[in-house]
Amino acid sequence: MRVRLVRLALLAAPLVAGELRAQTLRPTMSVSLVRARLRSEAPAADQFAGSAFLGEGTLALRRLQLSVSYLQGTLDPDGAIGAPRDLVEGTVLLGVRPLDWLTLETGPHARAYTLTGGTQRWLFWELRARAATAFVGSAVRGYAELWRVVAADVNVPESFDHAQGGEAGMMLRLSRAPLEGRLGYRIDHAVLGGGTRKETVDGVVIGVGFSWR
Amino acid sequence: MRWGRRVAWLGGLTGALVAAPSALSAQSSDSLFAAGVRAYKTLEFDLAAWTLRRDLAKASAAGAPLAARAEGLVYLGAADLFRGRRDSATAVFRRLVLLDPRYRPSRLVFPPEVTSLFDGVRQQTKAVAIALPGDTTIVPGPGAFGMWIIASSFQLVDVTLRYEDGAPFRPLYSGPIGDSLNVQWDGLDAAGALPAINRVLLRVASRAPTGELAGIVQIPLDLRLARPDTLPLPPPPAAAQFLPERARSGVATRAVMGGALLSGVVALLPAVVGGTDTQSGPRMAVAGTIGVAGLVGFVLHRPGRPLPANVRANKALRDAWQQRVAGTTAENVRRRRDVRVVVRANEPTAIQPRGP
Repeated sequence: MRVRLVRLALLAAPLVAGELRAQTLRPTMSVSLVRARLRSEAPAADQFAGSAFLGEGTLALRRLQLSVSYLQGTLDPDGAIGAPRDLVEGTVLLGVRPLDWLTLETGPHARAYTLTGGTQRWLFWELRARAATAFVGSAVRGYAELWRVVAADVNVPESFDHAQGGEAGMMLRLSRAPLEGRLGYRIDHAVLGGGTRKETVDGVVIGVGFSWR
Repeated sequence: MRWGRRVAWLGGLTGALVAAPSALSAQSSDSLFAAGVRAYKTLEFDLAAWTLRRDLAKASAAGAPLAARAEGLVYLGAADLFRGRRDSATAVFRRLVLLDPRYRPSRLVFPPEVTSLFDGVRQQTKAVAIALPGDTTIVPGPGAFGMWIIASSFQLVDVTLRYEDGAPFRPLYSGPIGDSLNVQWDGLDAAGALPAINRVLLRVASRAPTGELAGIVQIPLDLRLARPDTLPLPPPPAAAQFLPERARSGVATRAVMGGALLSGVVALLPAVVGGTDTQSGPRMAVAGTIGVAGLVGFVLHRPGRPLPANVRANKALRDAWQQRVAGTTAENVRRRRDVRVVVRANEPTAIQPRGP
């Protein structure tokens, strides 16, 4: 699967090179607070919740974009039993915007839980589709994003089955300032071992971002 | 043989007769003038007078140039003088002065007897010539149209513009003239208005110092008023150029519908991705906030709400159009005032009073 993705990237390279000529780079960056919740069924259900810091950045060149994100936080168990988990996530996604409101992205999504017994590492190769458009004048934009994991590498005993996720929310931009606020809800759900293990991470995202257009 | 020679001789004669008239007609006038001058120079004054009279008769009939006729007349006058016919010479010189008041015989060619007689006749003969542009366009106003009146000798002149029936249209000058005089017309009638007629007569009446009418020269002037075209008024802005001054329902509907749709997406997202065992509280809070944002957007963009920015933009568009209309109107007023008169001069005619 990885080889296929590398081939896809090589095929897209000439298109990227054509787009790079005489264009203006448009960077965006945002910082958010994520109130995250993890539910792990393996098969006994464990639930953790906590706050995490999320930083995101995007560099767009006409219809191409490269986006990176980093999330870090500590999730505490819902019950009195259990130890807290450190959660670290990161993505590097290369995207193309075929329509003004639609962006398609692909790239790796890594996640790690730091447990007392070791670190659980997840590596997903994802395909993402994101739609965004203004719905209250030009001040408020709504977005909805869905992603599907096409390949994964997880260091748990169960074999990876499938995973997908999504996020939806709105961004408020006042006047012509580059500052914008963000409120969203995100969730991803992974199934391993034919359903014997399920991992669901969801959360509310509240953040501010800077966008230079 | 004899018959052959006769036929050849007749053929040659016929050819000569056929070819001769055209050559003769082309050269006869010049030849007569040259023969007359030659006779004058060889002191054969009778022959010179006879030849030059024939030449002048032909030249007048053929409408020969003024200079050619003047040269013939001066030689004829001189020949008559030396034939002892002073009265005849005087009459010829008088005819010459009337024909061309500017003419002066060369004092290198003609002896003082001739030139002094000519000068005496010129002093006695009151005639004028008019020099003016043949076809010109003038802007009515002082000094718009100038003409030169050239006099044979000191005299009084009345320069007037007249209707075709002879009624006065505009007096231009009345008074003495020595050698020449520049008379100007402002292109207007006696009331100071643009001429409402297509033709006037420029008439110069010469009078002896005693007041006796000596002659009239008049030139018909064709007049035409030329007005520059006016500009069309700029069309008003098209309806499509105006922005809506009140909010339409589309934006408000989009806000409320978009908010509802996005709320639904947030609410249903776990079901879509498969993670159904999630807390609904935070998710519903986000969905509700988005829904409220849509409702607020609906209120802010409610249909019929005035849009001040669009009102200002439309006013600026209308003002710019009205400014263009005002500019064009002013330009058209200026163009309507900018009337020009096209003046075209025709052939002059001379009228001599009958003698007593």
